[in-house]
Amino acid sequence: MVEAVDDKLILEIDGKEVRVPFGTLILDAAKEVDVTIPTFCYQARLSGIGSCRMCIVEIEGQKKLQPACITPVMDGMKIATNSETVVSARRSMLEFLLSNHAKDCPVCDKAGECELQDMVYSHGQRKSKFEEKKISLHVKDYIISPVIIKNSNRCVQCVRCVRVCREVVGRGVLGSVGRGAYQEETSFRKGELDCDSCGMCIEVCPVGCFMRLPYRYKARPWDLKSAISVCPYCATGCKTTLQERDGEVVRSIAFKGLGFNDWLMCARGRFGYDILNSDKRLTKPLRKKGDGFEEISWSEAMGMISAEFAKTSPEKRGGVATASLPNEELFFFQKLMREAMGTPNLDSTSRWSGDTAGAYMAATAINEGGRTIYKAVNSDTVFVLGTQLSEENPVIDYIVRHVTDSGRSNLVIVSPRAMKLDATAHQSLRHTPGELAKFLNALILCLYEGDAGGLASLEEVGLSSKVSIAELAKLAGVTVDELRQLSMRLKRSETISILAGTDILKLDQGARGLRLLKLALEAMGKRLRILPILDRANQRGAWGMGVHPSLGPGFSPLSDDEKGLDCYGMLEAAAAGEMDLMYVIGEDIAGMYPDRAFAEDALSKVGFLIVQETFMTDTALKADLILPGALAGEKTGTFTNQVGRVQNLAPIQSPPGGARIDLDIMGDIASTVSKGFMDDGCTDIFGCIQKVVPSYLNIDNKSTGKDCGSVISTDVSLEAFFNVAESPGAVPTEEYPLRLITGNHLFYSGNLSSYSDILGSLLKEPVAEVGPETAKALGLEDGQNINVASEGYLDSFRLKISKGTPAGVVFIAENYEDKPINRFFKRGETIPLVKITS
Amino acid sequence: MAVEKILLHNVDKPNSHKLDTYLAGGGYEDLRKALAMGRDDLVQLVKDSGLRGRGGAGFPAGLKWSFIPKDPSLQKYLCCNADEGEPGTFKDRIIIEKDPHLLIEGMAITCHAINSDKSYIYIRGEFEYGAQILEQAIEEAYEKGYLGKNIMGTDFSLDMYVHRGYGAYICGEETALLESIEGYRGQPRKKPPFPALAGLNGKPTVINNVESLACIPGIIRKGSKWFANMGPEKSPGPKLFCVSGHIEKPGVYELPMGTTGREIIYEVCGGIKAGRKFKAVIPGGVTAPMLVEKDLDLSMDFDTMAQAGSMLGSGAVIVMDDTTCMVRTSYIINRFFSHESCGKCTPCREGTIWMTQILERMENGEGRPGDVEELERLCDNIFGRTFCPLGDGAVMALRGCLKHFREEFVYHVENGRCMVKGGF
Repeated sequence: MVEAVDDKLILEIDGKEVRVPFGTLILDAAKEVDVTIPTFCYQARLSGIGSCRMCIVEIEGQKKLQPACITPVMDGMKIATNSETVVSARRSMLEFLLSNHAKDCPVCDKAGECELQDMVYSHGQRKSKFEEKKISLHVKDYIISPVIIKNSNRCVQCVRCVRVCREVVGRGVLGSVGRGAYQEETSFRKGELDCDSCGMCIEVCPVGCFMRLPYRYKARPWDLKSAISVCPYCATGCKTTLQERDGEVVRSIAFKGLGFNDWLMCARGRFGYDILNSDKRLTKPLRKKGDGFEEISWSEAMGMISAEFAKTSPEKRGGVATASLPNEELFFFQKLMREAMGTPNLDSTSRWSGDTAGAYMAATAINEGGRTIYKAVNSDTVFVLGTQLSEENPVIDYIVRHVTDSGRSNLVIVSPRAMKLDATAHQSLRHTPGELAKFLNALILCLYEGDAGGLASLEEVGLSSKVSIAELAKLAGVTVDELRQLSMRLKRSETISILAGTDILKLDQGARGLRLLKLALEAMGKRLRILPILDRANQRGAWGMGVHPSLGPGFSPLSDDEKGLDCYGMLEAAAAGEMDLMYVIGEDIAGMYPDRAFAEDALSKVGFLIVQETFMTDTALKADLILPGALAGEKTGTFTNQVGRVQNLAPIQSPPGGARIDLDIMGDIASTVSKGFMDDGCTDIFGCIQKVVPSYLNIDNKSTGKDCGSVISTDVSLEAFFNVAESPGAVPTEEYPLRLITGNHLFYSGNLSSYSDILGSLLKEPVAEVGPETAKALGLEDGQNINVASEGYLDSFRLKISKGTPAGVVFIAENYEDKPINRFFKRGETIPLVKITS
Repeated sequence: MAVEKILLHNVDKPNSHKLDTYLAGGGYEDLRKALAMGRDDLVQLVKDSGLRGRGGAGFPAGLKWSFIPKDPSLQKYLCCNADEGEPGTFKDRIIIEKDPHLLIEGMAITCHAINSDKSYIYIRGEFEYGAQILEQAIEEAYEKGYLGKNIMGTDFSLDMYVHRGYGAYICGEETALLESIEGYRGQPRKKPPFPALAGLNGKPTVINNVESLACIPGIIRKGSKWFANMGPEKSPGPKLFCVSGHIEKPGVYELPMGTTGREIIYEVCGGIKAGRKFKAVIPGGVTAPMLVEKDLDLSMDFDTMAQAGSMLGSGAVIVMDDTTCMVRTSYIINRFFSHESCGKCTPCREGTIWMTQILERMENGEGRPGDVEELERLCDNIFGRTFCPLGDGAVMALRGCLKHFREEFVYHVENGRCMVKGGF
């Protein structure tokens, strides 16, 4: 026997010496010496079950063969992975697996990328002796979700689907029914699932048992052309491989080992690809004509712009470009606005003010460079704040669940309503919508109880300690005990990660509170990481590129003379007849600005409104000129995800019909409005970015497939943004007793997703969610139709009772077609008050 | 064969399941005695007695208890395995239905020994009557202070729960049993960790069979020497044999470990039914490979049975006379295993049903040349490669049959009918 050195165990695999730490599995130890052991049921991130027996190996001195995927190595082990016994055992396992397998490869979607096929090819025997009658679990494939269809006769019982649903997705809607050869992994009574439709079960299925319904019988994997892109539906930045056949994108797939998301993806990423081939795409430039539009040529469009532009003055021009465009286009957009059009008025959103965004950037220290999500979730405490993570950034939800569930971290959630991740959390707190700042203030007071000196120094930077903890807690809708418990968790942690979401941007100026919490925790010696959690694919990039009224590229602060209007300001100017020209790319202002009536009125008063869009949005309907643009799957460029990771986009197709790449359109407009603007010829836009945005210096945008790198810290200060005034919270009245909160839905995020027919099929009916107490008080039942009314608007929804949402709160998701929820809002209001009637 | 009954001491009394009857026979005095003993002494006493688990594996009970960590802050559990699923076994049932307090007392003593205050009786779903009796007995014991807080004025407290199974043989496997109690699908867990370190709810857990636990009060009362001196040195004590099949007087018999098969069949049970000829015997439930005439004088104990290539198992003695067709027998046994295969691992799930399909064809006269060899090949491909012993059990049963009666299988294939005449 050999002696262990350096705390490592020494063993032999196929005659090769291996040194690995205690606890390493045989399977992993074998990889160290390039010995591959075949597996089915093993999946690195799922619990080991050792059931398929493909990986059984021979260990000297042990009578039975042992599964490599769940057996830890021991010092001095001698393992054979290719002995005659092992090879024949493997062969027999494949013979067993095939015995009741449907063997209908010619009609199976999985054929060509099937693990069972590959395994039989490499380890199986030519001929099976099985001559009995096969067991058939069902005759026809059956549908368990609008996107999932199932054929259990192909199942190899690896149970990855059940495990991924429980351990990663956190839904647990799949289980095994039946026993022995009649065992089947399926949904309750094989019925349609009330599930996240994320399709993770499809992704992990080694065979053609779980299949994508929209992809069914559409293609063979070897006929597919692929392009590696980034999912456009939130700022998590999942790598997705888009695949097309004969000019139609047929699936979006997460590949193992590609991107930080690896094989993880949510419903939006996996099934929202069909917007690319939607027949609702805009394909021709359109000019307003009467109540409708008429098709015109691109040169006519440019001619119109040229003529109209000449009538405008710089301070009465403005532009909004959505944060779902790549960095290159956003960078060029601000250059176009500031230099070619000569106006400082520009923004990347219509959902919050420029100053609020600034305060959020400052609080989340976005100028300090990138972070990694895996490092962050491995902190002592993971603190989810102001984000509906489970619905807005599902893949982050998966990662947080998976890491914190295995006991390594403490998970705390602070949110105004229930979310799926609550089930995994060690502590979940519900605060009153719009009162996050008070909550954080109370929390800091709890953290500094008995430390007057520390408190005093925080007061110097703006903490208010005049109000008592009890009073603040009451206003924030939490109990003092809850706060103390949370404060204790934070005190006991050395490393803390705060995942800070967009509620901070939308619901109130919680950014100030977040900044104070940061200072308070840092003063206590905690190692703190704050991660912005955002909902638009390139929001971080948009800010970094300088698409912000008071920040230039690289967060460089502008002087007061250089600052312009944010989108809010531009709309107010427009309403007053002070906006001659607005150039809007991809942002549905009418659909998203929190007061639809005001936004529509303001847009109709813009002198000349150019809307560059891919679909006919409500904003486009108000346009004088519509220019058809391109989607993420149609262009090159880079996205910077919420934590600062820069990733490449590759096009899978060209824009449809006469639609063009947005960058090219902007280039033409630049030349039109400013002759010779394009002559100095910045052909390498990324190079231009690197010249003025230092945090992108180390990014390699030529890198294909892999990461381009993570943004680095810049020495600019965003402190000035903390001087924003706090908005008053909403106080419910007798007539309107409920606070309305809005946000992204699991199947919808941003207006683009609402054009996906597949995502649309997942949730046809718009729902309003309330907690059980509210429902009880109003005598309402789950699933019934209700009316939600604010002072100025009424609409009907289906009621959903979600356990864990506190009394007095209603949630309705944004981006339902035909349910313009921003009609509930009045300008200046962050939390509309509503009532529910049946 | 007259022996003093320890395990079946009470069963013939009227109202034997009542606490009063049990107390009249000196019940719960052994618990009192045990509570006065130190925990280590108690474990040592059971170790010294040589008691080996009566569920089938024959693991030394005292040794199992001694694996439980001593840390008092850790929750520990005792789970009584009353799943009694092995075909041919019906010994636990008589204790449960006729003398439930013997089991409760045994469990209380065991819990004291391992310092556990929570215990479960996992009873097979079909034992509805038994479960009712147990519930009543537990209620009585609570009322009289033999369960609950501060038992007999000591600081020992114990709660006991009856957990009914749902009809799966696999749940008699200890880790599947734990999964089932926890509310999951009954499938075996990987070992290690063994239940003694991470069992029910991840906490140290002892799992003992009903009969093992019922032996405990007797050991306290009569001492470890008395127990150790009964029967063979390495597997001593009284044993319940469940005799069934072609036998004149089937039933449950309490006999000293080491009684021979011949004694059981001919002296205790009155011989083969209707004076027919003995053909084979399964000594310990259908998993145990069958024995033939020449093995009948072997001592029925764990080690001797293992040496003879079989196992004592649960002590379910199934006797077969010369009218028995071994193909049909194998088919029935194998069908049981494929029906009960939990579906977790590949060789058991796919292999047992494959074997059953071949045996069914043979039995129906549709055997094909090569079928016997195919069965042997499948046995080789399953054995030693399954997750838990269920698949191995199926193979052992079939191999045992093929070892002694291969010619019957060949005959079935060649002639499409039984070799034996006149019968079953």
